[in-house]
Amino acid sequence: MQSTRSTRAAQPRDGQTLGEFIARYGIFLVLIALVIVLTILTPIIRGEQFFLTVPNLIQVALQASINAIIAVGMTFVIVSAGIDLSVGSIVALAGVGAALVMRDTALGPVAGVGVALGIGALCGAFNGFLIARVKLPPFIATLGTMGIFRGIALVISEGRSIFGFDRTFVEIFSARIGDIPVAVIVAAGVALCGALVLRYTKFGKYTIAMGGSERTARLAGIPINRYKLGIYILSGLLTGIAAVLLLARLRSGDPTFGRLFELDAIAAAVMGGTSLSGGAGSIPGTIVGALIISLVRNALNIFNVPSYWQEVVIGGVIVLAVVLDQWRKRQSQRD
Amino acid sequence: MTTPSAHRDGQPPLLVVDHISKIFGAVTAIKDITFTINAGQVVALVGDNGAGKSTLVKIISGLFPPTSGRVLLNGAECHFTRPADALHAGIETVYQDLALIEQLDVADNVFLGRETTRFGWIGRLLGILDRDTMRAQTADALADLHIKIPAPTLAVSSMSGGQRQAVAIGRAITWGRKLLILDEPTAALGVEETEQVLQMIEKLRGTAMSQLVISHNMQHVHRISDKIVVLRQGWHVATLTTAETDPQEIVAYITGAKQQTPVAEG
Ligand SMILES: Nc1ncnc2c1ncn2[C@@H]1O[C@H](COP(=O)(O)OP(=O)(O)OP(=O)(O)O)[C@@H](O)[C@H]1O
Ligand SMILES: [Mg+2]
Repeated sequence: MQSTRSTRAAQPRDGQTLGEFIARYGIFLVLIALVIVLTILTPIIRGEQFFLTVPNLIQVALQASINAIIAVGMTFVIVSAGIDLSVGSIVALAGVGAALVMRDTALGPVAGVGVALGIGALCGAFNGFLIARVKLPPFIATLGTMGIFRGIALVISEGRSIFGFDRTFVEIFSARIGDIPVAVIVAAGVALCGALVLRYTKFGKYTIAMGGSERTARLAGIPINRYKLGIYILSGLLTGIAAVLLLARLRSGDPTFGRLFELDAIAAAVMGGTSLSGGAGSIPGTIVGALIISLVRNALNIFNVPSYWQEVVIGGVIVLAVVLDQWRKRQSQRD
Repeated sequence: MTTPSAHRDGQPPLLVVDHISKIFGAVTAIKDITFTINAGQVVALVGDNGAGKSTLVKIISGLFPPTSGRVLLNGAECHFTRPADALHAGIETVYQDLALIEQLDVADNVFLGRETTRFGWIGRLLGILDRDTMRAQTADALADLHIKIPAPTLAVSSMSGGQRQAVAIGRAITWGRKLLILDEPTAALGVEETEQVLQMIEKLRGTAMSQLVISHNMQHVHRISDKIVVLRQGWHVATLTTAETDPQEIVAYITGAKQQTPVAEG
């Protein structure tokens, strides 16, 4: 160990210079820089420090939490060289389903959670079936189910918002422990588990292997189809968790919820270093990506930027993230 | 042609390829191939581009089934439906371009699909990787084979073509129990790396592990093999004993300038 470290220090490889350092940790630097810039700019522009306050930072974390949970699943999907465009529709379907069950039966919050997670997992399994068994490209399969799941949500809710369901459910999932919202705690737990699974388990390793070269992984005897199914079920299940939290926060289930959630989740993952071509990615990076998106939204609110312009800015951030991804890839190829 | 059931000392040959054909839609890739590999033998499979060598390899290693014919391992018929089945039976294959996953390190590649887990049954259930053990065993296994890799934690993407091929072959030797199949193992390699691979093949020759080697280099084929199977446009045109032939003659069979038996079928 000692000797390895000293040899590496003695002869630094050309690639391991500033360029590679930035390519690797750039996103963390961006997060820190963003916080510093906002801390300085807010009092100058608004005359008061609205940004660097505990309630506002908790708000940033809360705003990031739902996207972060979905983005953890999305990271697995993208690392496996797939994509899941249906997550936004799963949020709507799982939310509407859970709200209906809680409003129309006496089964209570446990049933609500069960239904949301069950619908999420089932939707994920359907995606996985189309991709692993029917062999549809993930982009096409989940583009299709994006419409299907949203359509089913509209059908079962008759296109209307569902109010008046279980109060306990809302209280539990919009509660705060100390000052920390339950949603943030759940997101932190999901992120921690996701990070451990991706780095230290067979499931994570096979996800990377599949994304690196599906054929090589298959030739090594890995049951690709089973793991693909598992990855899309994971994405659906985590999206179901996100739906529970959104349902509690908004106190209603609506078939139009979750629109463009897939974009935020993909953006968080890609910003955090997940390669769109598969084989590489990290959960901490994804979480930082989700925080950056939330910070940018927060800043635009603080500076009273109209919401239509916010879409433009967030879209620009996503494009920048993909440019960064390309650049990072060229950096590693040069190595 | 030789009969597949030609037993030697009552022992069935390690592998029997028995009248194998493979048809892809309108293309007949291989027609009626029959040969045997005895324990410890190195059999070379030669033929021009498109002769059907890789197709035959893929059948033996379980990628797809033959259209007709059988493969016997130790006298028992194989019914492989997936690569995992062949691996399980002790048949390891190194594919020229698909050997390793670039995004994983050396040890993760060597143990790909055969991971060691930690934390007892819980770890097995959750698939928690025991990387320390796998790295140590990788280092030992590669050292035994005289494969020089700086560390088992080295990323494959930063390795040379020769190093990758060495690791891929090392991996196959480590896990293989009966048959090692090498599809053009030296095609992408420089002079020194090629020599290294040839020496690995020679070192294994005569051990418990048999080898089936595909190559376009007749000097190499002549040097490493005991027996040569020649394919030509999917037909099995000759089976040669290496000691009784020379590179010129092998080439003559490949190009069709020479024929072993009158090709009744054609
Ligand atoms: N999956 C497939 N579908 C259709 N045709 C195929 C398929 N695989 C191989 N073939 C055809 O079968 C024939 C034999 O191909 P094969 O790859 O086995 O040749 P080869 O001897 O390995 O050639 P090379 O020396 O170039 O590697 C070729 O005509 C090829 O086009
Ligand atoms: Mg070939």
